[in-house]
Amino acid sequence: MAKILFINPVVREEDVPRHIPYGIALLAAIAMKEGHLVQIYDANAHRLPLETIIEVCQADEWDAICIGGLTTTYNYIKKSCKLIKESAPNAQLIAGGGFLTSMPHEIFEWIPEIDVGCIGESFVTFPEVLKKIDNKDFNYSDVLGVIHRDLTGKSFLTNIRPNIKDLDTLPWPAWHLFPLDIYFANSSNLFSEESFTSKRRMDINGSFGCGLTCKYCWHLGTTGDMLVEENDNGENDVVFTYGRNIRYHSADYIVSMVKHLYEEYNIDFAAFIDENLMTMDVASKGTWLKELCKKWIEAGLQPTCRQQGIPHDENCKGVHWNGTSHAGLHRPETLKLMYEAGCTHLVYGLESFDPTVLRNLGKGSNARKNKQSIATCLASGIKPIPNIIIGFPEESFESVRNTIEALVELGITAKPHFATAYPGSEWYYAYKDSIMEQYDQDLEAYIMDLGDASKITATISHEFSPMQLLGLQQIVYLKDLRLLDLSEQHWAPVQEKLAPVIQPKMSFNLKTVKEAGPLAS
Amino acid sequence: MSDLLKGNFTTKKQVTKPNETKDSDTLESTFKKAALNSIGGSMVYVERTDLTWDGED
Ligand code: B12
Repeated sequence: MAKILFINPVVREEDVPRHIPYGIALLAAIAMKEGHLVQIYDANAHRLPLETIIEVCQADEWDAICIGGLTTTYNYIKKSCKLIKESAPNAQLIAGGGFLTSMPHEIFEWIPEIDVGCIGESFVTFPEVLKKIDNKDFNYSDVLGVIHRDLTGKSFLTNIRPNIKDLDTLPWPAWHLFPLDIYFANSSNLFSEESFTSKRRMDINGSFGCGLTCKYCWHLGTTGDMLVEENDNGENDVVFTYGRNIRYHSADYIVSMVKHLYEEYNIDFAAFIDENLMTMDVASKGTWLKELCKKWIEAGLQPTCRQQGIPHDENCKGVHWNGTSHAGLHRPETLKLMYEAGCTHLVYGLESFDPTVLRNLGKGSNARKNKQSIATCLASGIKPIPNIIIGFPEESFESVRNTIEALVELGITAKPHFATAYPGSEWYYAYKDSIMEQYDQDLEAYIMDLGDASKITATISHEFSPMQLLGLQQIVYLKDLRLLDLSEQHWAPVQEKLAPVIQPKMSFNLKTVKEAGPLAS
Repeated sequence: MSDLLKGNFTTKKQVTKPNETKDSDTLESTFKKAALNSIGGSMVYVERTDLTWDGED
């Protein structure tokens, strides 16, 4: 058996730690099941100086040190990998997760310390890599779904690893290896009264994949959305597509897991991190959520406030929950059941209320459905949390006006996020050249700059500059149509004479076809 | 027991959390965080009572 150390990198430094990393927690459980010796250093939870990693790496003779996270953990991971290799030179450094899968060759160039990386879903790949390390065999070229190096440091991607077929074969995440007190102390959030009063919240994941093709989104190469193909130089590279292997856990798996969390950790809130509960429900022909709610109640997880029809207060028992919904796919009868079972709020990525923007976005919603969704959701008793974005490629004064008018009509106050092309997304590939131009051809500088989309990094709006977008964000927040009119009077005549500042293009790494990666039989 | 590492075996060396007050605990940094929070970030609020639109257009 191998002695392995996981490091959970710091993410969203400006906020307190709120999420146990689900992927790492699952991989740790899988590794332990295979008989390996496992330790986790949760740097995101502890928020200590970076150099603490040295001490952690010297705490034992590790066979492997494993690190990974989403793209915005890149800065931390890059700095850590240097320290890891210096302080534990004999350990194999394994990486994985979104930061790597979205751009494997670039990451291998920028972080030369990484020995091997798991690309996309790692439930099978990761234990196979560990087995090799256990046998002191560091030639990874025959493992599917990895990126590895030759002696010169050059990177190679092996062929794609099929997704596992039955999610219910997965063990539960190794929650007990994380500093739960730190996470519980940050349970409360501002989305609903019930989540605000939560003292013991935990994340759960019920499904993988989402059938929609929103251009800003990406599916981590873990949901059938990825192929590996030879590029023009004859080298394997990742290609992201509209293909999906939609998979969900059975209601029984989810409910027994939550019941365990309730009994073992006394949780009062379960946050579904699924990409979208409603697209999954559609994939199940409308049966999944209904069954889940029924079994949630049968298992005694229904909060007492919902059971008795009384207002929620601190004496409430049971487990409240939340998730992500979709304006065109939610059904009033399902929402009603969800409310009864304890659902408190649903995030709706409405993004915009402009017909042109919505048509081009690939979300499968329109302005009418977006507006209606708020009332439909509210009618069920669940609180809708709408997300708004500005700075779309086709953003115009008119599209911003459409959004503000809808916000006024619906009584929503929102400070919009800026449209951001995160690696892996369709936007990223379409606008990569423009992004490079905005960062002096330094792609790594762009990756390092990415954080929350509440600040502007690279713009992808064809017409608006950062200065205008910052102003428009404030105008949307204030819902001030007078200021919008004034701005348009000032800018529109100028804008007519200008060439678009940004233009999209095609890319090898993106295929806008429904071609899914393989699924194990 | 090392309190920074959690796992299914005991490591050769213990790694404990340093006691010194973290930078984030000083008044200056707490104030900075609060001030910055009031300026930046994203937020959203739906006024339940304000909804007069009945869902048909
Ligand atoms: C929870 C979550 C967060 C949490 C952080 C969670 C954490 N501790 O890592 C928070 C709330 C902080 C967050 C923030 C953001 N997020 Co987020 N988030 C998610 C979410 C909902 C779940 C992640 C998850 O646990 N998935 C389930 C697990 C099983 O998958 P996984 O972690 O990827 O792990 C698998 C593999 O990737 C791999 N793996 C992962 N880690 C490792 C490590 C090693 C060593 C190995 C070998 C393998 C490996 O193995 C696992 C099993 O297959 C996903 C969407 C989703 N449903 O996946 C988005 C997602 C990851 N987020 C995304 C984005 C864009 C953001 C934001 C930028 C959003 C925004 N506009 O602000 C911010 C970033 C803020 C910041 N300043 O950093 C994108 C990723 C984009 C990218 N290129 O990386 C996703 C995919 C959403 C999307 N579809 O667009 N997020």
